[in-house]
Amino acid sequence: MTTTSTRALVTGRRLPKGRLMPRRRNEAPAQRPGQRRRQWRETLAGYGFLSPWLLGFFGLTIIPMIYSLYLSFTRYNIFQPPRWIGFDNYIRLFTNDPQFIQSAQITLIYVLVGTPVMLAAALATALLLNYRDKGAGFFRSAFYAPSLIAASVSVAIVWRALFSTDGPVDNTLSFFGINLGGWVGNPDLVLPAMIILAVWQFGATMVIFLAGLKQIPKELYEAAEMDGANALQRFRAVTMPMLSPVIFFNLLLGIIGAFQVFASAYIISNGSGGPAGMTNFITLYLYKRGFSDGQMGYAAAIAWVLLVVVAIIAFILFRTQRNWVHYSGDNR
Amino acid sequence: MSTSNAYTTSGGASTPVIAQQQAMPAPLPPTKRRKVKRKTWQTIVWFVVLIALTALVLYPLVWLFFATFKPNAEFGQNTGLIPENPTGENYLKVLEGIAGVPMWKFYWNSLVLATAAVVGTVISSALAAYAFARIQFKGLAILFAAMIGTLLLPFHVVIIPQYLLFNNLGMIDTFWPLILPKFLATEAFFVFLLVQFMRQMPRDMDEAARIDGAGHVRIFWAIIVPLIKPALITCAIFSFIWAWNDFLGPLLYLTSPENYPLPIALRLYNDQTSSSDYGATVTASFVALIPILVFFVVFQRFLVDGVATQGLKG
Amino acid sequence: MFSKKRAFAGVALATGAALALAGCAGGSDSADELDPDEEVTLDLAFWGNDVRAELYNEVIAAFEEEYPNITVNSTFLGYPEFWEKRQTEAAGGNLPDVMQFDYSYLRQYSENGLLLDLDPYIGGIIESDPLPENILSIGVVGGTTYGIPTSTNAWGMYTNPTLLGEVGVDEFAGGSWDDYNSWMAEVTDASGGDVYGGTDWTGRIQNFEVQLRSEGSYLFSDEGEAGFDEARLAEFWESGAGIRDDGTVIGQQTLEEVAPLSGFGAALTVSELTWDNFGGGYLAELGEAYPELGLIAPPVTVEGSQDLYLKPSMLHSIAANTEHPEASATLVNFLINSPASGEIFGTNRGLPASETALAAAELDPLSQQIADYEASIADRLGDAPPVPINGYGTLEEKFRQLGTELGFGTITVDEAVSQFFGEMDVILG
Repeated sequence: MTTTSTRALVTGRRLPKGRLMPRRRNEAPAQRPGQRRRQWRETLAGYGFLSPWLLGFFGLTIIPMIYSLYLSFTRYNIFQPPRWIGFDNYIRLFTNDPQFIQSAQITLIYVLVGTPVMLAAALATALLLNYRDKGAGFFRSAFYAPSLIAASVSVAIVWRALFSTDGPVDNTLSFFGINLGGWVGNPDLVLPAMIILAVWQFGATMVIFLAGLKQIPKELYEAAEMDGANALQRFRAVTMPMLSPVIFFNLLLGIIGAFQVFASAYIISNGSGGPAGMTNFITLYLYKRGFSDGQMGYAAAIAWVLLVVVAIIAFILFRTQRNWVHYSGDNR
Repeated sequence: MSTSNAYTTSGGASTPVIAQQQAMPAPLPPTKRRKVKRKTWQTIVWFVVLIALTALVLYPLVWLFFATFKPNAEFGQNTGLIPENPTGENYLKVLEGIAGVPMWKFYWNSLVLATAAVVGTVISSALAAYAFARIQFKGLAILFAAMIGTLLLPFHVVIIPQYLLFNNLGMIDTFWPLILPKFLATEAFFVFLLVQFMRQMPRDMDEAARIDGAGHVRIFWAIIVPLIKPALITCAIFSFIWAWNDFLGPLLYLTSPENYPLPIALRLYNDQTSSSDYGATVTASFVALIPILVFFVVFQRFLVDGVATQGLKG
Repeated sequence: MFSKKRAFAGVALATGAALALAGCAGGSDSADELDPDEEVTLDLAFWGNDVRAELYNEVIAAFEEEYPNITVNSTFLGYPEFWEKRQTEAAGGNLPDVMQFDYSYLRQYSENGLLLDLDPYIGGIIESDPLPENILSIGVVGGTTYGIPTSTNAWGMYTNPTLLGEVGVDEFAGGSWDDYNSWMAEVTDASGGDVYGGTDWTGRIQNFEVQLRSEGSYLFSDEGEAGFDEARLAEFWESGAGIRDDGTVIGQQTLEEVAPLSGFGAALTVSELTWDNFGGGYLAELGEAYPELGLIAPPVTVEGSQDLYLKPSMLHSIAANTEHPEASATLVNFLINSPASGEIFGTNRGLPASETALAAAELDPLSQQIADYEASIADRLGDAPPVPINGYGTLEEKFRQLGTELGFGTITVDEAVSQFFGEMDVILG
């Protein structure tokens, strides 16, 4: 690549228009005879690159997905063939299952409170780590370490101990005059303890933020600095927009992941969803219904309600995207 | 789902900042490219803040480390950091292996599974992501929406049908049901992650390469892959760690204890119906943590260099 | 490579099906002789921890020595994972030949045709002499034997004599449920609140069952009908209101904190009503500071009633789709009746039900205590209830969960009763 085009890239200057292919060929009317063949070649290339994914998608995902949709309209205990019962599962969910309602409520709280807190912590830490490379390696590893430990009994043991009555957290808070007692056994405090657990394991999100930050050309900062922008202005003018696709990614995936929180609730509550059902998140409830109670059809219905809710939220997020997410690749 | 409309048509409208950049004067002279000097006190504050945060974040792991020296009966009775009656028994027990299967076998199984997962995930996800991010083809919108749709699907829903499939293929108690999906980019997380990164890369370069007559394979290999190296490494690290820690998949598909990876082995010290050895459990999970910690410490270096930035300097 | 594998699997599946068909057609007369020359490989699955797995390995080695033509591949997991895996296998028609089985799943698996009818082997390959009739009858569903108990246990009350000594209160002398409540209150008072007399016993469905049996009723009949109404359940849960409210029993919050340990295992309570095979686990959890346990009969609801019964702590069952029923039955017999099994397992799987295995087992003090206990309650032992109904596990868990909510005070007794009956409608309906 020539230096001219590099500079053009860095400064955002465009090459003379005539030298660029129109980006959306399908939008432009067929002016040249090769156009159609080109489009055909693109499609071929597209499906070529996608072929492994397509195989997995149709073989391993879409068929099981449709099957589970079918199951959600049946009574199915795994051992006997599913029996069609129409909308009964869905009706029972919304009219005759207080556990489901509670489960949906606590899951929503967990998602709406936990995800922003986790994202903010991950972004702040990533910015801190990005400030300087020398010495940051140690901290990167340190912050990621909690995410490395599998969702094993050990996590449950350590979390229960830390948040127990007279445990380290309780003692520290008592020192400041706040006497909350144990958290994990308290229906009012177990949810905050779960959220703190999620924030503690923010390593993956933080690393994705870091990778995004690393891909922002330094020249942009230098240029902004030359313009006299201070740190905050640089953050708003360069970091935020350049990082927005990654923020979008982490936000979307954070929300989806929080909706599907399972392992931590399973291990902390020993699979029970307690105390008083306050860790009975929707996937844990789904799991218990399907695998412990043998109500696979009902579990499938829960899964599809969850899927629809998450899809609606994802849809809204995608719609807001054009207002705040910036893709360099789409620059015209 | 029509979410992808917003996706594929977003663009120029949302770039006031870059407009600002465009208004910027002449290209930077090379001498101004050097790193901006940080003030010393800033670095000290930075250091202190990070040390404090690290202490907070690492405390539970330190607790866990000390707990490996607690005898079994101390669990549930002593929530403090320091063991009252420190013992090395837990380590001896873990080193013995489980039910005639030596400990290294579990490590080896985990290593095989995780390595295969990295190779499969990185290759297949990068290919799929390139198609979604850089090729305009018929059906793109709907397939992209479908890919996002699979992200939303709770995993437990597809367990039974997938099990039936692999059972019919005769792959139960082999590694194939765990490895094969990785080569088919079934984890949409990675595809989507790479799509986001590829979309962040300026399009002008591959457009330029196209004019020079390069096909998609060459653009992918020679331009995109080097540019998104940090993202690929991120994928590699995550897929390794997630495969290393995967519990449900191996539980469903593996039957012989010789085939178990670590996460299943870790649970074998517990039995709710008789007695549980918490000391051995904690110790085993701490010992299991060490290899991936080393793995991460080694590979996180690659995240240090802004590979993408270097690419642009070309 | 893949296609080869797949083709092979197809053949294997087809032949398996053919064999199964042939097995059906062959009738039962040919089904009770083991061919000593046929090379056979069996899959064996059990739940347990590493300790139990070592013992199984030893027993399997002894078995393979006696039957050199049979190879046993064993697999083991923790209890919840074990059942999760069996469920997926059942869906795939892929159950292991021989399984350690749980009472609460026996009806579900047998009524769905997943387990082998063991009657043709009992008295033949599976020796019946060492197994008392009332033991053999436990694994019968709808007139057919589907499981052989390895061991039995009974409902009882564990106490912590060391802790009681520290508090300065005598062992519970027996009596009614009210007497038990008073005794617990005495302990809690005497300790100044550091130690509790016990746990809220109305959280366990077994205590409800004991009371119902005293009154000549039952939890669920063989047809899946409940032996109690809303009022009776409300009365039961109300009877725990006093000890919950005045702090006699350990608080629910503390219980949640020490979980997965119980209050008893964490040395916070001096008594616990539970199955008598939990003693070993308690001793391990309590550690060296509490080297002994007390084991006494549960409180009495109606004097002279047969409110207790023997339940299998686990059984052995054979998958209906096994290709080697004779070899599987041989293995089951060895695991249950052989002196080698008794000697190696000891009481790891509970007090052996088979007399030959029991004779060979060396009883540690606790096992002897459990054996003595089961002998001492002979007058209160009645017939075992029918094999638990489908979904019993769900109802038991629901009962426990509602009990914890009562403990937290997040629901009223009436709400709990209506929730429990709502769940019953779904399960039984």
